[in-house]
Amino acid sequence: MLKHLYDTDCVTWSPQGKLFQVEYAMEAVKQGSICLGLKSNENVVLCSLKRQPSELAGYQEKQFKIDDHMAIAIAGLTADARVLCKYMRTECLEYKYTYESHHPVGRLVYKVAEKSQHKTQSGAKRPYGVGLLVAGIDPNGVHLFETCPSGNYYEYKCQAIGSRSQAARTYFESWFHLFEKSTLEQLILHGLSAIKKAIMEDEELNEKNVEVGILGKNQKFTHLNAQELRDYIAKLDAFNPNSQIQQE
Amino acid sequence: MIFNSEISGQQQHTTSPVVTGGSVIALVYNGGVIVGSDTLCSYGSMAAFKNVQKIVQISQNTIYASSGEYSDFQQVVKELAKIDRSALQYDDGVHPSPKDYGNFLARLSYKKRCKINPLYLQNVIAGFHNKERYLALVDIYGTYLESNFITTGFASYFCKAIISNYWNENCTLEQAKQVIRECFKVLFCRDCRAHDVIQLAYVDEQGTHIEEPERVETKWDFNGFKSRANEKLHTQ
Repeated sequence: MLKHLYDTDCVTWSPQGKLFQVEYAMEAVKQGSICLGLKSNENVVLCSLKRQPSELAGYQEKQFKIDDHMAIAIAGLTADARVLCKYMRTECLEYKYTYESHHPVGRLVYKVAEKSQHKTQSGAKRPYGVGLLVAGIDPNGVHLFETCPSGNYYEYKCQAIGSRSQAARTYFESWFHLFEKSTLEQLILHGLSAIKKAIMEDEELNEKNVEVGILGKNQKFTHLNAQELRDYIAKLDAFNPNSQIQQE
Repeated sequence: MIFNSEISGQQQHTTSPVVTGGSVIALVYNGGVIVGSDTLCSYGSMAAFKNVQKIVQISQNTIYASSGEYSDFQQVVKELAKIDRSALQYDDGVHPSPKDYGNFLARLSYKKRCKINPLYLQNVIAGFHNKERYLALVDIYGTYLESNFITTGFASYFCKAIISNYWNENCTLEQAKQVIRECFKVLFCRDCRAHDVIQLAYVDEQGTHIEEPERVETKWDFNGFKSRANEKLHTQ
């Protein structure tokens, strides 16, 4: 009950040291449909479950290319995601114009985090209601970052955000030690297996409601097309991570 | 009081340089890149400042030199140093490669040229990154050219023949140094604004090395010079 006394705006602390508006914004991320990312030494894979508002509608895209070497997957308010996506794309273009090279991934995530934090320290603004998984490759290596409405950002080996993402994270906890040396195909199958853990009982994965994006050291960001998605989903039942251990 | 001259409309545009540096010669060699320039800044035709370092380290694996207006050189050094320092601010261990500096300088020069207020310089950026040699020229207009050898100023007229005949891109460091010394000898003889004290700097896998200034050997004790002093003056 006391929550309601301190949650009117971002400029009010609660006695427990919380900013409730920021926490509510993080809830918005948890309401979005699941998206996850995982990386190996060579590749990063983003998988997301697309929602269809009604049977008449199309599926909401969740992954956006920022530059050849970087892409994001979103969970939360799509409109806020568009704003951040546009910002990131502009920054990458400007960096490329000035330096003729790719924007370092960590630095762009830092800039997004700065922007997000700014919204949490003003009486007249609200935080962005979207969490991003940023996949990118730069001279420092292969990266997967998560950004939050709070303005924090974290680097991950693999991470899932959005609705029922805990199930996917549990899958990751069991198998993430294999990811570093996985091939691209194994990585994709791991990602799809993790998503499968997070869908409802009456739902099933198909090429329409799943989105998979891949990035590699020598591979620009691409989405798997419908046929490739069908093929990978068909391989899911036969996919056994245990066999990967025996290989090593 | 408006001090910003752009707003007050009193900004002058650089139409001619005041304190100028001489030619810069840069060559690629087997394992790195070497840059040479003399240590003179001229005040018009006066050899005003004779011990000036005109090659500067920008980052761990990049060096910068230029010919032209010396105050613009100092300004560019500050601008490039800002970029290197930004890595400290972001705390992410990302350092620009030599090519990043070269392109940044090209963008900066082009911007200033578009405002008809150029950086009155021919810039040379040299570096060694990911086992690759990097050498580029950025001129007063913002033109960006990567090459195996770069000459600015009068060196472009006098020294290309020497470079063609005695240098190749896989020569040793010593050979490249000798070629540059030879070029500066010729320049000292023929270019009125040149000086016989030069400085060499090179970048290789270990990093940047800027050497102490050295005097090029030139010969002036020709008989013709000596006897001319005793020449009889022509009289009617």
